[in-house]
Amino acid sequence: MPENLIETRDLIKRYGDKVAVNKVSFDVHAGEVFGFLGPNGAGKTTTLKMIVGLLQPTSGMVKVAGYDVQTQSRLAKASCGYVPDTPNLYAKLTGRELLRFVADLYDLDHNQAVRRADELLRMFELALAAEDTVDSYSHGMQQKTSLAAALMHDPRVLVLDEPTVGLDPKSARLIKDILRQLADRGAAVMLSTHILEIAERMCDRIGIIDRGELIAVGTMDELRTLDKTGQTSLEDIFLSLTGGAEETEIADVLK
Amino acid sequence: MNINSSLIHASNNAAAASILSSVWKLLRLRLQITYNSFRRAKLRNKIRIILVWILLLGFAYFILSASRWLLSLVQSPEFAQYADVDLRGILASIPTLTLTALFVGTVLTSFGVLLQAMYLSGDMDFLLATPVPIRAVFVAKLLQAVLPNFALFSLFGIPMLFGLGISNSYSFSYYPLVILLMIFLALAASGLSSLLVMLVVRILPPRRAAEILGLVGAMFAFLCSQTGNLANSFGRDINFSGTRLAGLLVLSNTRWLPLNWAGQGLVALGEGHWLTGILLVGATLGFSSIVFWFALITAQRLYYSGWAGMQVVARKKSKQPSRTTRTTTTSVGFVYLLPKPVLAILQKDFLTLRRDLRSLSQLISPIIFGVIYTLLLLRRSGQPPTGLGEAPGWFMNSFRIVLAYGNIGMSLFVGWMLLSRLAGMGFSHEGRNYWMLKVSPIRVWHLLASKFLVAYLPTLGLGFIFLTVISILQGLSILEFVYSFIAIVMCLAGMAGILLSFGVAGANFNWEDPRRMNSGMMGCFGQILTIIYLPISFGLFIAPLGFAQFLELPLIYGYLAGLMLGSVFAAGSAFIPLWLVRRRVEQLGGE
Repeated sequence: MPENLIETRDLIKRYGDKVAVNKVSFDVHAGEVFGFLGPNGAGKTTTLKMIVGLLQPTSGMVKVAGYDVQTQSRLAKASCGYVPDTPNLYAKLTGRELLRFVADLYDLDHNQAVRRADELLRMFELALAAEDTVDSYSHGMQQKTSLAAALMHDPRVLVLDEPTVGLDPKSARLIKDILRQLADRGAAVMLSTHILEIAERMCDRIGIIDRGELIAVGTMDELRTLDKTGQTSLEDIFLSLTGGAEETEIADVLK
Repeated sequence: MNINSSLIHASNNAAAASILSSVWKLLRLRLQITYNSFRRAKLRNKIRIILVWILLLGFAYFILSASRWLLSLVQSPEFAQYADVDLRGILASIPTLTLTALFVGTVLTSFGVLLQAMYLSGDMDFLLATPVPIRAVFVAKLLQAVLPNFALFSLFGIPMLFGLGISNSYSFSYYPLVILLMIFLALAASGLSSLLVMLVVRILPPRRAAEILGLVGAMFAFLCSQTGNLANSFGRDINFSGTRLAGLLVLSNTRWLPLNWAGQGLVALGEGHWLTGILLVGATLGFSSIVFWFALITAQRLYYSGWAGMQVVARKKSKQPSRTTRTTTTSVGFVYLLPKPVLAILQKDFLTLRRDLRSLSQLISPIIFGVIYTLLLLRRSGQPPTGLGEAPGWFMNSFRIVLAYGNIGMSLFVGWMLLSRLAGMGFSHEGRNYWMLKVSPIRVWHLLASKFLVAYLPTLGLGFIFLTVISILQGLSILEFVYSFIAIVMCLAGMAGILLSFGVAGANFNWEDPRRMNSGMMGCFGQILTIIYLPISFGLFIAPLGFAQFLELPLIYGYLAGLMLGSVFAAGSAFIPLWLVRRRVEQLGGE
């Protein structure tokens, strides 16, 4: 039985009367890449933010690497890396300074931090821009820096919100390879994406959230059995489960 | 006709639209945005905006009446008889000075607006991709830059010039021409400003240019606010006379400067010298039109060709790994004793504060303030008044002690100004980057300690410099210097604790403009509380010295009592507020 590195139980987040996430429960095991899909505003980012400790759940439980994010937040956070959808990084730090800063926040040994920063900068092809401040980076470079920062402390759990948005095909491929390698080494990777092709090819299991509720979780084969219309592609299953009729109408208007 | 063909037809119509109708469309959009902002503003903001406009209109009416009355007065024979000064030269130069101020002011003030509108607002690409004529986009941008400033200038300039016209009984043609000339000059100025923006952006990235502009603006505004103090202190050394000023104004009315033509033409028309007036006003209108048109076409070409978007001055790229983070702390060895995350935040904050000119501009005012008041103190030589007078000996001795230490309060006041910003915005300064701290396993006390030190250490450094200068000026003994330093160390610590805790309570991470990061009520409460805290805390250090004199005890008792009372109070003020907000820190960024 693989170890559960992310566990959520009856996770609820309310903003006043609006329920953003409603009783979401799922697990992400060690060694797997878990895709989190859903239409815009379905509650993906809110769920991810609760997992990494950025948002306090209204009720429910989240555990990361076995630690409760509410009561053992420091231990949970020490095991986790996070890449947000918008790479808000310290604009006036250089790429290298930013990685060293992150290393110090996670209390890494100085020499280890220097070596790791060099490795990651080289791997993400940021070495040439390492001494430039982040505000001079393109969106893709900032996205890669954000991922490098999340990988600095070699986390057991990696949570990524739309990691491939704004990346060129080469960088997107690099990130996919890195995530796969991380999972193969025993880490749990959870990512949200709108690109269903990525989810279909990369993820071992997929969770679909719609209007704050988790409507399906499982492998591709399991999702196919869930969908009564007999669809085979993830796109068809996704549209069928989340209500694709509106998309068809839009396509008609554009014809 | 189906939907698609009607859409294509509509797009073709848009492509064929004239420049004027397109400009109107774009300006209407801007008006719509302004109206929407007003409509969706909170009620108190709406009332505030309406009140500001009523006040501005009232002020404009006041200027009109005051200029009319003053100008009638200074032209009266009685005034000339008593004052024995010929003010005709000064009066004749008022239109020239007003219009020159409008022109120069518009060039300067439009710069920031145009930089924002053309390079930072992000709507240029969107607008240029639509079938709206490019020229219309540029005209709309120039008008957008010039209109708010023009409205403000008009509120003061038009009443003044109309007042002059009424008091001098100028002909009717004077009044519409005042408005026409102001419009033409403002347009020409905004055109020149747009070229200036492009020239600057050719050298510096737009964001950097905006940061530098913010810093210069903050320094200029603060220096202007201190003009009164500077003039009082240094004015005596400047040989200033009304006759000399009058000579300068008459000189400014010469005809070789095109900017003078407008004012002189207006006066000539007003006085009925039609030929001179028409020539000068016509020349100004023509010249302004040429400048505006040339600037418009050039700006459009430079922007479209990409010339103004490509920096020619390549940034120096250091290929060596940055050593800055290490050198920041090697000079202060004790910081290595701090936990690594605290040290990391300390280094990060000092680096970002130093590099981000927008944040630096927030810190510049206390430093300028300190320099100005040190200079003032230097000029007064900083000596307490001498002489026993009629007062009892114990009173004068106590008074001397308090006075000697009183000037040290200046260090604390400068420290208060700097701390209000550094501690008050300690957390808010993180802005949208706060998530990086929030997801890291940093302890709350480490976070608080790092933010405390980020605010406290530079303030202590500044306080120490001021204390040293003041001590030298006042000839304080070593004992007095050391005691004052301890008092400053403790008082500033207490102040940092209070301000930082209010900064936590009112933390705002959603800001684009650093001026907005500390605009909440909590920042104000913190400042008010520290204004009360400061005299109490410093008083607890100083008052026992006066009591010791009063009770004719050895002064050492006063020092010991002061140290104990002041230190306990300041340490409590540093720690207790932070302890109270520790839970709030855990919740920050999670709302």
